[in-house]
Amino acid sequence: MLRSADLGRPERPFRLLAGTAFAAAIGLLIVALFWAILSAARARAGGEVHLDVGYVLYITTLQAGLSTALSLAVGIALAWALNRLRFPGREVVVGLFASAIVTPGLVVAFGLIDVWGRAGWLGGLGVPIFGLGGVVGAHLVLDGAFAARILLGRLDAIPEARLKTGQSLGLNAWRRFGVIDWPAIRGSLPGLAAIIFLLAFTSFPIVLLLGGGPSVPTLEVAIYSAVRLDFDLNAAVTLALIQIGLCAVIIVASSALAPVATSVARSGQPRWQDAGAARAAQWIVLAFALFGFGAPLAAVIADGAVSVPDVLAESSFWSSMCTSLWIALGSSVLSLIVALAVAAASAAAPGRALRTLVAVPAYAYLAVPAVALSLGAFLLVRDSGLQPETTAPLVVVLANALLALPFAVATLGPPFEAIARSRGRLIRALSLGGVRQFTLIEWPLVARDAGLAFALSFCFSLGDLGVIALFGTQNFATLPLQMVRALGAYRSHEAAAIAALMLVLTIGAFVAIPKLFGRLGDAGA
Amino acid sequence: MPRYALLALAAFLTLAAPAAAEDKPTLTIYTYDAFAADYGPGPGLKAGFEKTCGCTVNFVGTDSSIGALRRVQLEGASSKADIVLGLDTSLSGEARATGLFAPHGLTPAHLTLPSAWTDPDFVPVDFGYFAFVYDTNRVHTPPTSFEALAAEPPSFKIALEDPRSDTPGLGLVLWIKAAYGDKAPAIWAALKPHIVTMARSWSDAYGLFLKGDADMALSYTTSPAYHEIAENKPNYAYATFSEGHYPQIEIAGLLKSSPHAELARQFLAWLDTQPAQAIIPTTNWMYPAADIGGALPKQFPAPPQKVLGLDEGTITENKSAWIEEALAAIR
Repeated sequence: MLRSADLGRPERPFRLLAGTAFAAAIGLLIVALFWAILSAARARAGGEVHLDVGYVLYITTLQAGLSTALSLAVGIALAWALNRLRFPGREVVVGLFASAIVTPGLVVAFGLIDVWGRAGWLGGLGVPIFGLGGVVGAHLVLDGAFAARILLGRLDAIPEARLKTGQSLGLNAWRRFGVIDWPAIRGSLPGLAAIIFLLAFTSFPIVLLLGGGPSVPTLEVAIYSAVRLDFDLNAAVTLALIQIGLCAVIIVASSALAPVATSVARSGQPRWQDAGAARAAQWIVLAFALFGFGAPLAAVIADGAVSVPDVLAESSFWSSMCTSLWIALGSSVLSLIVALAVAAASAAAPGRALRTLVAVPAYAYLAVPAVALSLGAFLLVRDSGLQPETTAPLVVVLANALLALPFAVATLGPPFEAIARSRGRLIRALSLGGVRQFTLIEWPLVARDAGLAFALSFCFSLGDLGVIALFGTQNFATLPLQMVRALGAYRSHEAAAIAALMLVLTIGAFVAIPKLFGRLGDAGA
Repeated sequence: MPRYALLALAAFLTLAAPAAAEDKPTLTIYTYDAFAADYGPGPGLKAGFEKTCGCTVNFVGTDSSIGALRRVQLEGASSKADIVLGLDTSLSGEARATGLFAPHGLTPAHLTLPSAWTDPDFVPVDFGYFAFVYDTNRVHTPPTSFEALAAEPPSFKIALEDPRSDTPGLGLVLWIKAAYGDKAPAIWAALKPHIVTMARSWSDAYGLFLKGDADMALSYTTSPAYHEIAENKPNYAYATFSEGHYPQIEIAGLLKSSPHAELARQFLAWLDTQPAQAIIPTTNWMYPAADIGGALPKQFPAPPQKVLGLDEGTITENKSAWIEEALAAIR
């Protein structure tokens, strides 16, 4: 049954077709990956799983659930504080927060150890950072700040008119949150929750580094071990399917909840500040967040600063930076295009089921175990008769685009949905075509969000290198690979310097890219 | 669709790449990334062998040595690889059982390994002994055995590697098994309060130790030499354990499917000579497999008094069970 909100939507068969085609392509690629692994597995015996799957799932779900709930709570509080407060350097602070999620998890984990570890800045406090608490803490730093950045975007987009009305009604700070803010961020929460849950669920190096031993297990390490140590591909596929099945439940549930209409508008500077206790609470939230999120990242930069000149003097650093930048550029362009198509199609879809169907595959890559992804990609490339060494860069671009896609779709989905709901009738009345709908109405409104999505994909790609494990990589070095190599060769100072430089690059991209897109949007308006 | 896109792009890349016009044969060696990387022995070995072989040496670095083996297994007879380099003696039985490796027919001379080398399929590349490394500024009286380590106060922490994802982690499982046999689970259980973490890789665990979050890290007896030679820091040492130390010997093998079997054999023969082995110590920070005389930096320690060992067949048969047993003891 169509609801009234669906009736006002302009018919956009082409958008639906394009979005569905992308969704289908993504789905097919996953099927192809698993098909490739399964056909390689068929030649081998094995398939028994030596693993207490129930226990692993219980702990992993607990860990991921805690990480998600805490990250969202902290993200909402921080977005609320940042939306109200104005201070010098605010943009850099926002960029810093957002960059946590795209910084390689291990770098952030080591930053946490710099602060809270036994020999860290606050080591004297004796905060236990190893064990379940440490894992959840690290995920909170990575994902809480990310949630805040996305939600801040929603809050900053609340129309001025609504704020003025609220102000004239004399809403107090708490009622204001309930009446104006909550409806604006509600739509983004399910998508965010799904992403954070999946990231925490599939987290592998962080869990091993901070988990304190095998009492905090993860399905990913069992899958890794099945693929690598035992070479039992049947068992690996079984475990991977368990993981995907469980994650799929989360994804489908969350996208069935989403999207709730949120407002989109380019608001001016909201000058309506809260007063009294609320304002004090906002400063306190900001102070805690700055410390909690900022200190580990600052530690990474402080740690690496000494060796930065040495690293900058090496030509290998510059060539790997160039490689990283073009890979990031390629994958973020691809990711943005697909995300725009999926978000537009999902918003144009008549009815909830179709909407879910179009959006769900975008999240799928977060559920696929990294080792299965890299094995499947290697097999697919080989089965196609291609040389792994030559195709490695292409595979990285494609994989990074797909890995960043959930972030981009979660960022762009809600605004597109909001436009369809609030401007749908207007667009119909003006009989605008799809292209003019995009250039005249949508682009000016989503440009900033598109910038955020682009920045997320760009930085995500900058920090990631998981997929080409088997491809052969000596002529193809990216910054994270260079960092891992330095670490593996005892050169921890160089690794620290590369980590610091990557972090600065990421923060810079996060400040600059959304601004650039904002300008582009203004120019189009 | 993505597959066709891949094909199209690959075709483009092939056209764009300059044609390999020279007739020199290419010797393809699969290894782990760190071996092939700029910091590793790969570039030096390549340059050294190319001087005389009239060939091009191509090191292909996968993420780990076991990854290199898995790649060859997946590629089967169609593999371009001539040699797989970097597996170790805990995986040699499994590698042999794949039936992909051909006998090398060589008798490497002047080896300096802990025991005589009789392996018909693999030649040694380099070797080391697993050991717990500590900072002499922080730890003044290191434990002298696993039992002494277990008896340390609970605040004494060690950083380990997960045996499912990293070869030193697997090495520790074998080390304790070789030293304690059926009592191994009891030792693991006694170590549990000291284990700060079981990291995914050696570099994560070692990084944790360097940051001061662990008093010792599972590494090699040769690790302190790195700090002394490359960083001029003499304050790292390894703890000598009275049970003895377990060796890790890295190996290289010639693939049956190799299109350049004779060239590959020449490389393996050259690999165990002095010019090749002299590259190893300060690039891979392991002992050379063959005698290099005065070329071995003096900072490299003398080998441990007591060296343990396990039979290859027993390892291959029981590896998974031993890992499971160790993990269960500390779960």
